[in-house]
Amino acid sequence: MSILEVNHLKKVYTTRFGGSHVQALSDVSFSVEQGEFVAIMGESGSGKTTLLNILATLDRPTSGEVLLAGKNVLSIREKDLAAFRRDNLGFVFQDFNLLDTFSIQDNIFLPLVLSGKKYPEMKERLAPIASRLEITSLLKKFPYEVSGGQKQRTAVARALITEPQLILADEPTGALDSRSADSLLRLFEEINHSGQTILMVTHSIKAASSAGRVLFIKDGEVFHQIYRGGHSQEEMYQKISDTLTLLATRSSSSAEGGVCIE
Amino acid sequence: MNNFFYAKLAGVNIRKNAKVYVPYLLTCIFTVAAYYMMSALSMNPGIDNIELGSGSLRVCLQLGVWVISLFSVIFIFYTNSFLMKRRKKEIGLYNVLGMGKGHLSRMIFYETLYIAAISLVVGFGLGILLDKTAFLVLANLMESEVPLGFYVSIDAIRNALILFGVLYLLIFLNSLQQIHLTNPIELLRGGQMGEKEPKSRWLLALVGTILLGSGYWIAVTITNPVQAFTLFFFAVILVILGTYCLFTAGSIAALKILRKNRRFYYKTNHFIAVSGMIYRMKQNAVGLANICVLSTMVLVMVSSTCSMYFGMEDMIDKTYARDIELRVNSNSEEIGEAVDSVVKEVLQEEGTEAQNLVQYLYLNCDAQKINGVYEIRPEKLNNGMAVSEYYAITFTTVDEYNKAMGTQKTLEDGEVLLYSGEGSYDGDVFPLADENWKIREKLTEFPPNGAAAIMMTSHLGVVVKDFETLQKLEKMQQFPGVDYSDYTNLQYSYAFDLDNDAAEEAVTKKLNYSFEKLADEAVKNGGGLYMLNVVVKSTERTMYLGLVGGLLFVGVFLGTLFIMATILIIYYKQISEGYDDKERFTIMEKVGMDKREIRRTIRSQVLTVFFLPLIMAGVHTAFAFPMIYRILQLLALSNVGLYLLCTGITFLIFAVLYGLIYSLTARTYYKIIS
Repeated sequence: MSILEVNHLKKVYTTRFGGSHVQALSDVSFSVEQGEFVAIMGESGSGKTTLLNILATLDRPTSGEVLLAGKNVLSIREKDLAAFRRDNLGFVFQDFNLLDTFSIQDNIFLPLVLSGKKYPEMKERLAPIASRLEITSLLKKFPYEVSGGQKQRTAVARALITEPQLILADEPTGALDSRSADSLLRLFEEINHSGQTILMVTHSIKAASSAGRVLFIKDGEVFHQIYRGGHSQEEMYQKISDTLTLLATRSSSSAEGGVCIE
Repeated sequence: MNNFFYAKLAGVNIRKNAKVYVPYLLTCIFTVAAYYMMSALSMNPGIDNIELGSGSLRVCLQLGVWVISLFSVIFIFYTNSFLMKRRKKEIGLYNVLGMGKGHLSRMIFYETLYIAAISLVVGFGLGILLDKTAFLVLANLMESEVPLGFYVSIDAIRNALILFGVLYLLIFLNSLQQIHLTNPIELLRGGQMGEKEPKSRWLLALVGTILLGSGYWIAVTITNPVQAFTLFFFAVILVILGTYCLFTAGSIAALKILRKNRRFYYKTNHFIAVSGMIYRMKQNAVGLANICVLSTMVLVMVSSTCSMYFGMEDMIDKTYARDIELRVNSNSEEIGEAVDSVVKEVLQEEGTEAQNLVQYLYLNCDAQKINGVYEIRPEKLNNGMAVSEYYAITFTTVDEYNKAMGTQKTLEDGEVLLYSGEGSYDGDVFPLADENWKIREKLTEFPPNGAAAIMMTSHLGVVVKDFETLQKLEKMQQFPGVDYSDYTNLQYSYAFDLDNDAAEEAVTKKLNYSFEKLADEAVKNGGGLYMLNVVVKSTERTMYLGLVGGLLFVGVFLGTLFIMATILIIYYKQISEGYDDKERFTIMEKVGMDKREIRRTIRSQVLTVFFLPLIMAGVHTAFAFPMIYRILQLLALSNVGLYLLCTGITFLIFAVLYGLIYSLTARTYYKIIS
């Protein structure tokens, strides 16, 4: 069963006085199955961030539809959106987006408090997640007191605690050193193995190679995709790297068609 | 060429940072203008035209100059430090891009120079323009004629140049020090400091509570005007210190207690608000305390000077019951007739008549209440008597009383009539020195007695049986072993209104002349009359107006200046909060908070932070009320209703202004966060 379905998404930005139009997404369609770990790759300006913002319901497409667990998210009324986001989506950002006014524990609690959960229940939910993410000892600390990797694990915990349908990750390793990045990616794989669906936007081949499937976006369209299948992470890394090279060279000669490697 | 580059860069910097520089520049300009105006006014030769009150007026204005100088130094430093904090990132960037600290210093030198030059030139211009208006207002308050024409005070300009020259130099050095002490990375991050969770300083919070509490306690419990006056500044200092402690430590401690309470804290609204407030208070506590203290000062200053000004007539009427009062020190019972004939003669010559005449002989005594007994013998009085034990007693005889009040009271031996003024007197015995006098009747009226009336609650009027008793009392309050043969404390008061005000000046002159003659004769004839005083109400009024009008002017002037300072602090607070909140705003939205919800919580936080100082200022003013009322009593202003009205209206106007400032600055804030 596909948990996320994206059909013919199009987004055109118009400057304030309607002068010029910029097409960020021209026609994007894909779907994500329950329990999948999908990475989306593309160059800067390819429309990745726009796509993610639309999936996150932070932005609205010009046309097309987004179905999450069969429900059209674009039909949700503006005032219900925040609650919808809170209950169904988990977010992990490049710059962590932790609130410096809250302790680590309160940062994780934030979405639950917003949903009006009681303290004992929150505490109960937090315990297993914190021990799995190895942040139990940090709970009382504040964001400025912990390392980047620990901040990102806090953000993951915050995303997980609502038990969302889908976790959206935007360049989650972007601000981390390689060791922290590796451990975060292993964490993503683990979470994914336990059944959590993850959609990650990234620049990093290494990050993408830990995913089960990689989508390539170019000029506002899904250009190509590769499945990891039974391949090891190293083989996956090689395949992605080859595809990107091909993408770069093909783009200079012709923008047409997809290249099938699988 | 190279120099020209830095000069130009400095100009560009100021223009690029207009959002923070324009208010700073305006502050500097207004401060310079205010200083010039007050300083020029205090030296204005036109003040001498305001004949009688000029001395006290000048003192008021000079005091104002000092307050403004002090204020300028503190305030310009405060705004400048805010400015530097905002600009650290920019300066760090220049540093990273290869400008050495020497270059930066040169750039900052030019910036400071520009600000100094602009603020001094424009400030003087504005000051000179407004100076005339201020003088007109002042002269109007003093009910005096104003000579036309501009007056430019070179001395005031010189003083201002010295003060502000030194001030800007210090500010330049301070900026340099900040640059030299920090490295580029710190400079780059400078704008984002203050992320740390503030520590709760319980001790400081406790000290603050105690300080504020004792300040309030003093204000509420002191009932004696003299004591109120001496303790007022002590209470003010307690309250100011307490305010700073409570805003910085107390607020955070209180919020942390709330955070510890899980049931309360983990509720959607409280969660965001409490944690947000902790950080807001950390960053703004000092600014908010500044606003609170300044607001309280404005309120207290304006309301009390207004009450003094508007209550002046009332007070003058009480102290000087009649247009002209003659005070004669004499121990002769016949003095009344002598004075009467002199006055009648003078008035007849001037073709006017005395009205509402009150004449009586009395004895004013300083008394100390020791163990419930009123003591007037100097050898029995304790040195360093507490103000609460002090009483002013006016003795007179029953004949004099009846003559003055038109009554027919009678007294037996050992009996007195007692008037307790605005205070109350319990019991029907009057214990004076070694004797207990029986109070035959408590009086509700007593002939006017200016000197004693000022004492209000601690003034007693005592009517004794006859002149012999009065003389006995006079003996009692003389120091033993001192020769009193050519002096007496017995005083004869002869007070009356004129039916023709125009004749007042001539009458006064003639009275003075005639009394001198009378005194000379008395000396020739061997005593009985020792001291003469012609007290003219209108003259006293003018003298008093000089003081009160001056105080009102300085009060309102400083009030305006302080309000301006408040506006600026609020504006800067809004800007700096805006930048911090912007980031938080986006994160909360991503994590799943409604835009409207965010706006609502932020709005409520901003409102709380914003109106907290106003509310606290209101509370301070309310607690200061009884104390200031006592002090005003000391100045013979006892009209509670008037003072209450003045305070109420002042607070209302201030609150409206404050709200106006909020709505204006809030717009800048919302522009930043959205």
